[in-house]
Amino acid sequence: MAAKGKDGREKNRRGAVITWVIIALIYVGVFVAEQLLPPTSMLFTVLKKGATYALVAVSMNLLNGFTGIFSLGQAGFMLIGAYVFAIFTIPVEVRGSVYQYFDGGLVQFTLPVPVAMVLSGLAAAFFAFLIGLPVLRLKSDYLAIATLGFAEIIRAIFQWNQLGPVTNGSNMLRLFPKFNDFNITDAQGNVIVYLSTLVPFLITGLCIGLIVLLLHSGYGRALRAIRDDEIAAEAMGINLAHHKQLAFCISSFFAGVGGAMLAMYQTTVQAKSFTTAMTYEILLIVVIGGIGSVTGSVLSSFLFVACSEWWLRFLDEQQVIGDFQVPLLRNGFRLVVFSIIIMVVVLFFRRGIMGTRELPDLFRPRRKEAALK
Amino acid sequence: MSETVLQIEHLTMQFGGVVAVYDLSMEIRQGEIIALIGPNGAGKTTAFNCVTGVYEPTNGQVIFQGETIARSHPYGKMRKIYAGSEADAYLNGSVRLSPDRITRLGIARTFQNIRLFSGMTVFENVLTAMHLRRRSNFFTAALHLNRAEEKAMQQRAAELLEVVGLTDVSGELATSLPYGKQRLLEIARALATEPKLLLLDEPAAGMNPQETEELSAFICRIKEHFNLSIFVIEHHMNLVMAISDRIYVIDFGKLIAEGTPAEIQNNPAVIEAYLGGGEE
Repeated sequence: MAAKGKDGREKNRRGAVITWVIIALIYVGVFVAEQLLPPTSMLFTVLKKGATYALVAVSMNLLNGFTGIFSLGQAGFMLIGAYVFAIFTIPVEVRGSVYQYFDGGLVQFTLPVPVAMVLSGLAAAFFAFLIGLPVLRLKSDYLAIATLGFAEIIRAIFQWNQLGPVTNGSNMLRLFPKFNDFNITDAQGNVIVYLSTLVPFLITGLCIGLIVLLLHSGYGRALRAIRDDEIAAEAMGINLAHHKQLAFCISSFFAGVGGAMLAMYQTTVQAKSFTTAMTYEILLIVVIGGIGSVTGSVLSSFLFVACSEWWLRFLDEQQVIGDFQVPLLRNGFRLVVFSIIIMVVVLFFRRGIMGTRELPDLFRPRRKEAALK
Repeated sequence: MSETVLQIEHLTMQFGGVVAVYDLSMEIRQGEIIALIGPNGAGKTTAFNCVTGVYEPTNGQVIFQGETIARSHPYGKMRKIYAGSEADAYLNGSVRLSPDRITRLGIARTFQNIRLFSGMTVFENVLTAMHLRRRSNFFTAALHLNRAEEKAMQQRAAELLEVVGLTDVSGELATSLPYGKQRLLEIARALATEPKLLLLDEPAAGMNPQETEELSAFICRIKEHFNLSIFVIEHHMNLVMAISDRIYVIDFGKLIAEGTPAEIQNNPAVIEAYLGGGEE
């Protein structure tokens, strides 16, 4: 007899336990790998960037997959997050060299990293609130265009020379803390414990955990109701404007935190790198992972980053097997193959890798099995 | 006479040149079951949509338990046409509450073409409709600190499903249910918002005679159980005649008759609207 909870759903205890075990194993695995493998290994680059993208992809999924708001402003909110983080964490003593054209800039204090990260999220959420007031009245593709435009405008504004004392104009911000600074070193500067990959994993895990909690709360149900049927949701007393605004701000908050992580990953921040293409990359991750699946977004961001940064790199170089020189392989060929892979995935996994399933669902006892018990 | 729950006064809804509802006035009192009938396209659902705030009426007002939930009047030269002699009585200032506010005041509805939350289970559908009565704020809810409230909500959802007889399918996906059960689920979901007035838009559509009979008993039962007033649009005359206290008949947007089931059955205007007039 399958245990039936009060809510009528069969409680998937097995799935929940296995999920927690898998998550714990991943964290232990990351920690151990980091101590054993050389820190220059490509694996860690992929893991760090993958963790960053996973957070942003999940935040985008919260909007596109769970609330049904098709927004393409993610790069803009990441930019805000990255800049806020960088501006407030550059050590005072090096500000002179970073803001060399602006007399050391306006901000002359430094915030601790966690505070700066929360602040970058809040800044992104604040901008989302402002932009959401007019824009969220729009539907589907119009909303997408409006948010895309917002991201472009933000990118231009942050490069504006007049804002130079704060944003350093179109020059890059650098010398702020990066992932490698999380490593614990002894007095001589030798690393004792490597944490530069584990910390981004922990940040992403914490943020995604919060998003998952939200999705499973009454508010999460309300958001899904809006996605499924706006008219019915409104007739059931759900305030559309309020809930959409809420989802938009929360999504942007985590995109902002993701932006701060991207800043730490890249070690420099420059507005011109937060292009529309970055939003599309994240959209692609969400679609490939499955619109409406947190697990899917996380999985596919790591796959995406691994493919684009690591596994397909060999396609960009001339390869010689024995005397045979493999044709076609040259700089840029990787992108061709990559595009083909994406097309194949989209054609054969119409609903993404995971569809709308989550990790625990994979370990749910099969229906027949459950019926027999 | 018991108190008036819903009062519709001179309601007119015009879409461009089409007048879907014209000068409809009606009244629903506490504990009554009122039916609104009429041929296809008579404007019944439009009237519903005006009451629930989906449409902003062209003219007229709707009062629910003493509170004006919709009041509107046209501007310019149209005003004179609509306002007539009562121009000063209520035509100043318009009120428009959004559908969610109206639901919060205590009017719940079902839809003619079923609108369930397709991605959710039966149980979640009911649970979602309780969201509007929550007392926890966003942060306690999102961090799952409102265990007691959530538990109470789940318990009430289970009770509601028990009442409508859907307990055994509560874990199924809502859209996988057979048609008749989807209609029951819509009613359960509407009840979850703790309404005082329930609007049912063709609840028996697509049901066979036996299911329809069960539905009439069911509607009377929930009326007693939840102390409701019910406003129903329906085509099945058996159902309408069996449950209604009073019936309003509209044709081409105009009210052509009102009265008890017996009066309506013998009303020549109603018979003409439904069967067509003689061929003079």
